[in-house]
Amino acid sequence: MRAICRSFLHMLKFIRHDMMLFAALTAPVLAGMAIKFIVPFIEKSLIQFTGMNAVISPYYGLFDIFFASISPAMFCYISAMVMLEEHDDHIDRYLFITGLGKNGYIISRIVIPALFAFVTTAVLLPIFRLTDLSAAQIIFLSLTGTLQGIIIALLIAALSSNKLEGMAVTKLSSLIIFGAAAPYFISSPFCFCFSFLPSFWMGKSIYDNSLIYMVPSLFVGGIQIIILQRKIMKSLI
Amino acid sequence: MRFCNLILWDMKFQARYGFYLLYGFLTLLYAALLFSFPEAWKEKAAAILIFSDPAAMGLFFMGAVVLLEKSQRVTSFFAVSPLSVIEYIWSKTLALNIIALVVAAVLAVSVNSRSISLVLLGTFLSGILFTLLGIIIAAKIKSLNQFILATVPIEIITFVPAVLHLFGATPEFMRIYPANVCMDMICGREFSVVGLFFTAALLVIFFYAAYRSVSKMWQCEGGEKL
Repeated sequence: MRAICRSFLHMLKFIRHDMMLFAALTAPVLAGMAIKFIVPFIEKSLIQFTGMNAVISPYYGLFDIFFASISPAMFCYISAMVMLEEHDDHIDRYLFITGLGKNGYIISRIVIPALFAFVTTAVLLPIFRLTDLSAAQIIFLSLTGTLQGIIIALLIAALSSNKLEGMAVTKLSSLIIFGAAAPYFISSPFCFCFSFLPSFWMGKSIYDNSLIYMVPSLFVGGIQIIILQRKIMKSLI
Repeated sequence: MRFCNLILWDMKFQARYGFYLLYGFLTLLYAALLFSFPEAWKEKAAAILIFSDPAAMGLFFMGAVVLLEKSQRVTSFFAVSPLSVIEYIWSKTLALNIIALVVAAVLAVSVNSRSISLVLLGTFLSGILFTLLGIIIAAKIKSLNQFILATVPIEIITFVPAVLHLFGATPEFMRIYPANVCMDMICGREFSVVGLFFTAALLVIFFYAAYRSVSKMWQCEGGEKL
């Protein structure tokens, strides 16, 4: 445990040097303020401009889902970038043979940042939400958003062998967040093509206002994390 | 011949690290997305997609390209080879822009764009500007997180005015702003000639800055000034 904490603190020092720690701490608040204040302002302007009763307000739930996905995606993305740097600089293989080990490395680089992301989202979502979310919905969105962040980080680390491949995978893996839009814009049963994404079930849960979709979301996310974790344990040398 | 080999090497490098696969997938995805949009939205949506992704890919990937070269000590070999800094910069810029142009052409055709040649010219110009900016930053940074953070202000000052301009939400004088000139071209509509002159001037300035940055990076290889 001590080795894991030290390894995590080492990563914090590394990203503090890059100013990324400051960015990671301020970005969720800035994104939340933009969603809370700018989106309703745009809606007001669009209503005046188009003469319609509502333009983007029916999709406010989607903004809440995206906000719940932003912090975990960002925290885990930063960790994944640090992992890629360490892999390219051959630091990771030295860490594996210390008391930290591969599991400790994964925990310090992905699980602990994900836990911070969960707490950040659970605290900020009630402040910056655009719809009336219940406490259970807030916890559900924070949890599934965190699972998604872990999946993004694991995908980057598992599928890329260097920084450049990592950036290409990052671009692709960030698209998994957009599965949440499927229940809003694609009619049933075609929207179920995206049911392999946890974000799809997040969207479904908020769109249908039903917490039952928490089960498939956690199940899908959990399965993906297990598969990716196994792959990453094999690929990390 | 050396320059052609360099571009070819850069393209092989991109293929090896999955750029073509990635952009093949993204092009299909973007085309499917555009296909699902109402007719009135298509052209503007295509312009936003082209400007923010294939055209700006240099800004996204250049940090990783240069950092990987640094960690593999490739830049050390470049520094002592007969290769010139100008050749290096042009090779990086053109190799990335080839992908950008192909993706932009497919998207422009999929929305029946008014002038494909203008779309390609706009993509090429913005692609060069973004790649040069990417090189300037990448030559100075030490980690990917530093690069990503440094590109955020650039994205804000280029993307926000360009998207606002696309929807006619900017004052008339902003037509000469280089990002807006490129956006006008990508959208296939009339652009400001004065703006094009400014864009060309900015391109020369960015090229000079990229030249200085890469020269400095090559001179400081291995912690010693060559």
